[in-house]
Amino acid sequence: MTKKSKPGVSRRSTLALMGAGAVTFATPWVARAQAKTIKVGMPTILSGRVAQLGTSSRNGVTIEVDKINAAGGLAGRQIEMVIRDSKGQPQEAARVARELVNTDGCELLIDAEASSGAFAVHEVARDLGVFCIHTNSETSSLTADPKQHIPNAFRTARQGVHDSIVGGGYAAAIAKAKGLKKWATCSPDYAYGRDTTAEFVYYLKQFAPDVEIISDAWPKLFQPDYTEVVTKILQAKPQALYSALWGGDLTSYIDQANIYALFSQMEVFAVNMADYTALTVVKNLPKGIHSGNRYIKTYPATAENAAWADAYKAKFNEYPTNWSWENATAMMLLAEASRKANSADGKKIADAMRGLTIKSPFGADGTVTMRAEDQTLIGYAIGWGTTIPSEPYVPEVKSGDWKQILALEAEWKKSKGYT
Amino acid sequence: MTELQAERAGKPLGVPRIEAKSQRSRYLDVLIAIAAFAVLATLPFLFSSKALLDFVIRCAAFGLFATSLNLLVGYTGMISFGHGMFFGLGAYSFALIMQRTGVPIPVAFICTLLITTVIAAVIGAICVRLKEIYFAFVTLAFQMLIHSMILSWVSLTGGDQGLRGGIPRPVFLGVDLSNYLHLYVVSCALLVIGLLLMRQIAQSPFGYTLRMIRDNAVRASFIGIDVWRAKLTIFVLAALFASTGGIIMSLFVSGAYPEFAFWTISGEGIFINMLGGVTTFLGPMVGTVLLLIMNDTVTRLTEYYGIVLGIVILFFAIGLRKGLMDFVVEWYEVRRDGAKERAR
Amino acid sequence: MDLDALTGCLASSACLVTQGTSGFIIGMLLFLVAVGLTLIFGVLKVVNFSHGAFYMFGAYFAMTAYQLTGSFALAMLCGAAGTAILGLVFERVFMSRVYGSDVLMQLLVCYAFVLIFDDVVRWIWGPEFKSMGMPTAFQVPPLFIGGGVVPPYYLLLIGVALAVAAILGLGLARTRIGKVVRAAAHNPGMVSALGINTGLIYGSVFALGGMLAGLAGALAAPVRSLTPGMGFSVLIESFIVTVIGGMGSILGALLGALLIGLIRSFGSLGFPLFTDGLMYLFMVIVLVARPTGLFGKEVA
Repeated sequence: MTKKSKPGVSRRSTLALMGAGAVTFATPWVARAQAKTIKVGMPTILSGRVAQLGTSSRNGVTIEVDKINAAGGLAGRQIEMVIRDSKGQPQEAARVARELVNTDGCELLIDAEASSGAFAVHEVARDLGVFCIHTNSETSSLTADPKQHIPNAFRTARQGVHDSIVGGGYAAAIAKAKGLKKWATCSPDYAYGRDTTAEFVYYLKQFAPDVEIISDAWPKLFQPDYTEVVTKILQAKPQALYSALWGGDLTSYIDQANIYALFSQMEVFAVNMADYTALTVVKNLPKGIHSGNRYIKTYPATAENAAWADAYKAKFNEYPTNWSWENATAMMLLAEASRKANSADGKKIADAMRGLTIKSPFGADGTVTMRAEDQTLIGYAIGWGTTIPSEPYVPEVKSGDWKQILALEAEWKKSKGYT
Repeated sequence: MTELQAERAGKPLGVPRIEAKSQRSRYLDVLIAIAAFAVLATLPFLFSSKALLDFVIRCAAFGLFATSLNLLVGYTGMISFGHGMFFGLGAYSFALIMQRTGVPIPVAFICTLLITTVIAAVIGAICVRLKEIYFAFVTLAFQMLIHSMILSWVSLTGGDQGLRGGIPRPVFLGVDLSNYLHLYVVSCALLVIGLLLMRQIAQSPFGYTLRMIRDNAVRASFIGIDVWRAKLTIFVLAALFASTGGIIMSLFVSGAYPEFAFWTISGEGIFINMLGGVTTFLGPMVGTVLLLIMNDTVTRLTEYYGIVLGIVILFFAIGLRKGLMDFVVEWYEVRRDGAKERAR
Repeated sequence: MDLDALTGCLASSACLVTQGTSGFIIGMLLFLVAVGLTLIFGVLKVVNFSHGAFYMFGAYFAMTAYQLTGSFALAMLCGAAGTAILGLVFERVFMSRVYGSDVLMQLLVCYAFVLIFDDVVRWIWGPEFKSMGMPTAFQVPPLFIGGGVVPPYYLLLIGVALAVAAILGLGLARTRIGKVVRAAAHNPGMVSALGINTGLIYGSVFALGGMLAGLAGALAAPVRSLTPGMGFSVLIESFIVTVIGGMGSILGALLGALLIGLIRSFGSLGFPLFTDGLMYLFMVIVLVARPTGLFGKEVA
């Protein structure tokens, strides 16, 4: 894994030439710094059932690090990624993060942990004061809750509440048009599943007040058999179903619900469907599942996005995932902030990153912004559409309106007592 | 099923008896403990590596946990698959008390031990009358029950996200646990005191009662030992030390996570015991150090950690057929006996 | 908690029938996975901790065979045969060396293979999850049997489960091989003194147990996503089932599986957020009341 994170020999020699060119007009201080690479630590999950999270995060980071290094690195210092497996255990995530900083001399952290691991690394960042970007945790409270706030930690992942606002608005429009009043939910029984489902339902009812939830099922994370939740939903006879299941759980659920012919009996809204991890895997994908975009090459429908996906596919022989773009964005922001601060120092980068807007293939309007007040990413492409079983999988995506998202998010924060 | 019937069929674990120690060796234990603490306490002045301190703190947490498990497995012959629940219980109770009440740290520490005592006594009262593998099953079932309660009781425990927001650490008696050096010294102190206490338990008459129960519970009950009570007592005592390990871990990660109460922690404890050996008191401690070193180095080198760890386990289970300390002690004894033979 | 939903369902016969049916289906799927575990314990007195890993290999073998040949029957055969061979090798080369040691050593060997197998699968098939896909023959609407909804594919699985139960039950009770196996379970020394190769018996039983796990994995592959570590939750479930039913008892596993199935299907109505907790609670109660499980005999 270190092989990928270091540039090849031939590239390094060209870089040396470029670096030598830079020295001629740089201050002596920069020249000294240039001699040293900057290590960026990355705790993530590389084994077990969500190892794909780690591998796509690593790929997303690698593809950008190569570009940054080719362009001269962070303030002239070449980036060396140090990527470690936490096996998905929070105490290991904390241990690995500490070790990366204390032993390996990493000056910056990319926290590509999921769920509880991210909170464990957050505590390490609080303790050590090291610069840290959370790239995979979508749990809103990580940045929304002022008690969690520390000046050196940022997030470049989606946020559950954003997805729910857009999803609620999209679903409400369809509910009104088709007269879908009776709804059911089926989401994994853990924080992410519970929170996003509650938020989705909240906004669905805001936009379509006569909607009613008549049944809710909560399978466990990684549950192998969904029979009882499928029949429970069928039993309740809802007109529409919302699900926050993702990855392998979502594909298992689809396969098992399929043989009960569930999809012909109700409209299905699955926020995590439109990601290549699920789209390319399910063999008998039912038509017309409504889904939020996770990562889709065709949305935003720009040349930059398609080019990025193609470059990724060419390099790793697989499509990017939601995790890939989130991690790539972290590196893009890091590079830009470092350029703005003209430094690779964590504190200076953090100062430069607050409120920073960069050009991005994943932006709703071609840019994404690191919001200053809570240090989380906004302006990324977010929308919903219906899936088809073959490329381009989601032919038409209805974009969310960021003005509306931000307004409703502010309200939501107030209702939670965060502001 | 009575204790008699239960134990008749039970086969003792292949752990040899440990010879009685005199009063003098007790003073020796104390001296060794003081020396060990002194060495540990000077480490930060000799080495500037923070990672070393991290390592020792983790060793303290897992070492207390694994050694306390050996009180059950090695000394009493009770194979618990659910010992990790007390590790998790300690971490959660302590972190929750600190977050919710703001009492001084020693008070929270004692409250945590009290809570552990009560819960361990209740669970133990139900579990210890079962023998062998059924004891293992029922402890495992309790562990999974507690784990799923932690996951479900979101308002109290934070569910799968764990307890977040850090643990407040008010200064007490001049000790500031938010200072890393202080945390390190306190962890070392807890480890050394904990080990010393467990050593005293193991060497006490009660400790020999436990060995007798392990070797032949029927005989023990014939000579008037209340087997049930002895087993329950050691179950609760072991839980207390496991809980202390959990407290150290919660301070290390500044939170508590459901994984602490998951059965894999118990499995790791068993594994540490087998790695280090169950016949010597320090076997589990050696096992802890070995496993943590292995964990830390192998995860650095490869992401196929499982294959490497699996092969190491196979080496111990099939190759050595015993823990490292067992192996060393036996090798030493064979050599010593050999030397005696030659001297004659 | 949603006790209204539960009582409401218990009062309505339509709901009783459909949830009862799904409880039965869940139970039969569980039994398929658990039966190999209980068989191995019954004969070898080994808690095969690596059972889930065999299940996983069965699923991956089946998926690969299905992708290569497109034949569902061949896929199932590959899943079962592949894991049978794996089980035989595993038992002869590794497990047979630790029969004399205490139970912890056996567990450690199994644990080692859980770790190794998970990584091997990740190495061969990659970390991402996969799906085998449902054969077209089974892509048909579900059937309505006695008021309950049953997908045709699950009908096949139930059939296989019942057949396995019958063959194993009758085979152990009635046939000569069954008698030898039971005798070997009871008194291996005597059996080998009679000139019967106990190693062969142990190896075959382990192969059979592995095959059953692999078959369960293969049959589950069309409806469950495949990922390294997928055997883990399956292991826990089958463990609960066999402990409740009594380790070593085929009939016990059947009953335990059905009970857990019913707990799951009705529990998801009344306690949607604590369904798993209910299973553990039930396991604790059974163990405390009857340590050997519902149908278990004392293990000597």
